[in-house]
Amino acid sequence: MKRCKLFAAFLVACLVFAGQAQARYYDDVIASGTLRIGVYRDFPPYSFLRDGQPAGVDIEIGRRIAESLGVSLDVHWITPDENLEDDLRNNVWKGHYLDKDPQNSLAPKNLADVMMRVPYDRQYAFKRESTGELVNEMVVLFGPYQRESWRVAFDSRKIDQVSTVAVFQYHPVGVEIDSLPAFYLTSAFAGRMRDNTHHFSNLPAAFEAMRRGEVDAVMGMRAEVDWQLHRAGDGRYRVGENGFPMMGKQKWDIGMAVKHSYRQLGYAVEEVVDRLVRSGQMAEIYRQYGLTYEKPGLYQETL
Amino acid sequence: MIQRGRGKAFAVTTLVAALSMAGMANAGVTDQDILNDQMTTDDVVSNGLGPKGQRFSPLKAVNTDTVKDLRPVWSFSFGGEKQRGQESQPMVKDGVMYVTASYSRVFAIDVKTGDELWEYNARLPDGIMPCCDVINRGVALYDDLVLFATLDAKLIALDSKTGKVVWKKKVADYKAGYSITAAPLVVNGKVITGVSGGEFGIVGKVEAYDAKTGQILWSRPTVEGHMGYIWKEGKKVENGISGGKPGQTWPGDLWKTGGAATWLGGTYDPDVNLLFFGTGNPAPWNSHLRPGDNLFSSSRLAIDPDTGKIVWHFQTTPNDGWDFDGVNELVSFDYKDGGKTIKAAGTADRNGFFYVLNRENGEFIRGFPFVDEISWAKGLDKNGRPIYVDDNRPGNPADVDGNKGKPVVAIPSFLGGKNWMPVSYSKQTGLFYVPSNEWAMDIWNEPVSYKKGAAYLGAGFTIKPLNDEYIGVLRAIDPKTGKEKWRYKNYAPLWGGVLSTAGKLVFMGNPEGYLMAFDAETGELKYKFNTGSGIVGSPITWEMDGEQYISVVSGWGGAVPLWGGEVAKRVKHLNQGGSVWTFKLPKEDA
Repeated sequence: MKRCKLFAAFLVACLVFAGQAQARYYDDVIASGTLRIGVYRDFPPYSFLRDGQPAGVDIEIGRRIAESLGVSLDVHWITPDENLEDDLRNNVWKGHYLDKDPQNSLAPKNLADVMMRVPYDRQYAFKRESTGELVNEMVVLFGPYQRESWRVAFDSRKIDQVSTVAVFQYHPVGVEIDSLPAFYLTSAFAGRMRDNTHHFSNLPAAFEAMRRGEVDAVMGMRAEVDWQLHRAGDGRYRVGENGFPMMGKQKWDIGMAVKHSYRQLGYAVEEVVDRLVRSGQMAEIYRQYGLTYEKPGLYQETL
Repeated sequence: MIQRGRGKAFAVTTLVAALSMAGMANAGVTDQDILNDQMTTDDVVSNGLGPKGQRFSPLKAVNTDTVKDLRPVWSFSFGGEKQRGQESQPMVKDGVMYVTASYSRVFAIDVKTGDELWEYNARLPDGIMPCCDVINRGVALYDDLVLFATLDAKLIALDSKTGKVVWKKKVADYKAGYSITAAPLVVNGKVITGVSGGEFGIVGKVEAYDAKTGQILWSRPTVEGHMGYIWKEGKKVENGISGGKPGQTWPGDLWKTGGAATWLGGTYDPDVNLLFFGTGNPAPWNSHLRPGDNLFSSSRLAIDPDTGKIVWHFQTTPNDGWDFDGVNELVSFDYKDGGKTIKAAGTADRNGFFYVLNRENGEFIRGFPFVDEISWAKGLDKNGRPIYVDDNRPGNPADVDGNKGKPVVAIPSFLGGKNWMPVSYSKQTGLFYVPSNEWAMDIWNEPVSYKKGAAYLGAGFTIKPLNDEYIGVLRAIDPKTGKEKWRYKNYAPLWGGVLSTAGKLVFMGNPEGYLMAFDAETGELKYKFNTGSGIVGSPITWEMDGEQYISVVSGWGGAVPLWGGEVAKRVKHLNQGGSVWTFKLPKEDA
């Protein structure tokens, strides 16, 4: 009797493992015929839904990767947590603590095989805790495919030009709350731009406020700003020529992440992405979305 | 089952019987029951054993002489894999215990047997990312309803007999970063709740709903500049801007996203008819971005329960730059000063200072450190405002410039001299029993940090114990002098609430798993029992069939294990769990 029960439990467990998503070995990915690519939810122009279909540069890159591996693409949407460590833990190596099924406690966690838009930064990858332990030892960061930076867009009917950020002592500027542009504009130059800094829940909302005339400019990630300009298609909104003096991180590279035990999958994906960058197809994907494309540092030095 | 419990209790004392009769046979919890909770020993119908939050019981069958014989009568498991910290305080009414567990669950248990009567498991939305862990701190009872709040910021009323939903209201939008973990408070038929929230630009608030129907009655934002509302005959009417107008103590538009979450709930004192709610830290986290006092963050607010108006406020950490919060419970108590009765209230703040306030008007009476070391302030001025040590304020992001900012060693750490865990005030000894922690933090601006694919400036920190032998310290403190009468040192940080009784005892659990009882006068450890997982909940006591019972929830978790560093090393061997333990004396001793 007891034996039967055990066997039944085993069977259930097998069935469960067969059907569910968890990060996997290269062979398992190929055998399953699908690759789960993790991308941020509602995050244009990188990953979002357009007419109910996944769209964005990270989705396009994911499609190319899946195609090259001969599998189909399965999108794993990521709701961002407070920082990248959290996102990697929740989506790449461990899973979220709310991802539990009381009816089936053996169910594997919902994870991505590969996560897109993960900064490729050696200092970050090898960051240590105060106790000396590596913070991100459970993941491998690899495959840089784009260099990101900051950008200002402004309403040319309100401001003639933005050659330095000093204009924001006089003109209201919109930023995403709890972002580096928000910290920068409220703290740099003894806070002289602070009172003109307006906070929004995301960059599209800040751009919308500029269209309504509430702010004269917005500051955000270059691709996000480019996308808004591209969509607006209105010459009155222009790109600032300013730099960001005293701003800690001006440029950084974007790559991908896999769980450390699935390096083989990482190598296969890296090969595809490397080809996309070198062949110019990557630049083409960005161009299709109206975005500036800048190669990551690795390629700027070698190509 | 419920009937049986009531029948037996009925026979016990005439006082209890009279109160029960007043509420009619088989009646549910009344406003009177809640207001008298501290004196009625046959039930526990409010968080804090009475809305003042004193956590004192007049029961004394279990006392310094008999407590050594205390033994468990039953243990009830919450089951499943949903653990991660059980911070609930159980309630007991008519032979039934109502207790919450992590992940927004409620259980009704037969207190005689430990049998489950019903269980409610809130269905949380897919992909929800609650800001502030998955703990829940307990229910409120009113009439035949069990009221509690969920991780997706809803207030739910369950039928106390069946566990079925009677009404459900959305208090705030979980997608915007709101959550609720505190126990609601019932005052004169109104159920009153605050909200939790992270750094997503939320604005704290306190709201009142009709306990029976769930209709909203008033809403009071806790950040200066936001309009409050009151509902009159179902119509939403403006009810005054909190603080009068925006922009007085905040720069730019930061008041719009100012934080000040009311995440720990509140207390109520019928003598002055005021609600007391604490508010959390201001947003953004770094204080250099928001020069000014940033009202009403890190404050205690006294709110009129009938209108939702702020009657007075007392800010413990203006321009908070250490995440000290000000949510800690304000406990009402009276004391004599030269023959005059002072209507006071005491509160032990995250920032390391204990404050005694006049609860009628919020005036500062006195304040003193309740931890051994405070680095960020030299002391308090005559109005109770901290005298800052400017060098000890975490650095300005503008000074970072690509490198790790200058680290600051601040004491206490942001987890506080005392965190959420409630104190107890004993009417018998006149002392506050404060579960506190001795720890420091290194804090710096961390430029090697990313968020949603973007470079970010995080706050890097590590929490460090100040002593090798202990972090936790249970302290007996005289609120009239600030003198510490005794202390009990605990290796792991304390994270559970305290209960004092007329049996001259103080009960508290620790993360090592022990329910402990101390002599209230001397601090001598009189009893301990290991419940199998760490205790981070608050004990209660009540009387049934002439015997005194004690219950506590066991299940290690909460905020401490979520942070790394030296402190994590001290607690990582502790195992999670989820159960209620109930104790009494053997019959022959009673």
